[in-house]
Amino acid sequence: MNLALKISAVVIVGALLGLFATWIAVVRGDMPGGVSNGPWKTSLAIGSTQSDPYTRASVALHGLFALNRSETIYYTATSDADGNALDGACRYEIAGRDPDARWWSITAYGADDFLIPNPANRFSVAKTTVQHNANGSFAVQVGGANNSANWIPTGAGAFSLTLRLYNPGPTAAIDPVQTMLPTLKKVGCP
Amino acid sequence: MSATVWQRLPWIAATLLVAAVVHMGSLHVLPHFVMARALTKLGASNTMHPGHRPDASSRAVVRPSPDLLYAACPFDLSKGPLRVTAVVPHETYWSISAFDSATNNFFVRNDRQIAGDSLEVLLMRRGQAWPPLGNALERVLLISPTTKGLILVRTLIDDDRNVPALEGMLQRSKCETVATAARLR
Repeated sequence: MNLALKISAVVIVGALLGLFATWIAVVRGDMPGGVSNGPWKTSLAIGSTQSDPYTRASVALHGLFALNRSETIYYTATSDADGNALDGACRYEIAGRDPDARWWSITAYGADDFLIPNPANRFSVAKTTVQHNANGSFAVQVGGANNSANWIPTGAGAFSLTLRLYNPGPTAAIDPVQTMLPTLKKVGCP
Repeated sequence: MSATVWQRLPWIAATLLVAAVVHMGSLHVLPHFVMARALTKLGASNTMHPGHRPDASSRAVVRPSPDLLYAACPFDLSKGPLRVTAVVPHETYWSISAFDSATNNFFVRNDRQIAGDSLEVLLMRRGQAWPPLGNALERVLLISPTTKGLILVRTLIDDDRNVPALEGMLQRSKCETVATAARLR
């Protein structure tokens, strides 16, 4: 093999390897440097000018124009409490009490990171729309058929959920890993 | 280790070096590429573009919140400083934020951090001429790390019945290039 051919092979194979590593790290993988609170994952550096290149690239692809942590904390769930990937064919229940924030919402997104089309035109529940029980708790059905205020349709395929905490309170801002968040459990699959 | 492996070692090392350079380079370029694409989708520079409530047809930016209304102003400071004037509601969450061309959120202020009903943000590059000041009671002077980026106004839909009023408020927010008068030091 002559020298020019060898150099070309090094450049092409090296470039493909480099791009594959980028795809693994930020396109396909979880949020780099992320932390978990049950099934909810976040990165403490989202939106920050101090974020590392991996976090910045991941946020650009999956959460463009995210605000920094002092203003909003964004948690994403791609699996349930047992670690199984969220599946639109199944039903789930989100249950708990209001997280420590001025306002919160939970929104379902398709695998393409956009809102999931559905006949009811419903995409989320929020502090201002969820129906609370008398003791202040709430339970929300995710997926399946329903028509109550506490329901988020999911479509048929893989999906994820984003929990937004706007103006997080002190417990969420200081310790987003330990702050109380709603649970996310699978109810069943047909 | 055989002689063949020793002979190939420099080529393997060179391949890994190229891979590392391409990997780090692509990580650096990716946010700029995504941002440039988003700015093009959002509309003309230095103009406020108030949007409608996001739904499944909203495809300009990933993961929009269906509980918020957005107004976006892609900025290009090569034509001079930018003046943003925004109407601030106090009955619901509202914020104005700025993002550089690498997607970093370098500024955010929300309704609870503003006393009045309006805010003026003057955005410029370091060394750019100082624009004349408007009549706003509250003003923020902001140096942008990059020439291009985005100003984004968010407001929470606290009640579906308030959507028309909130949309009207966002439509009264402005974003424009301003003439300059003095040199900012």
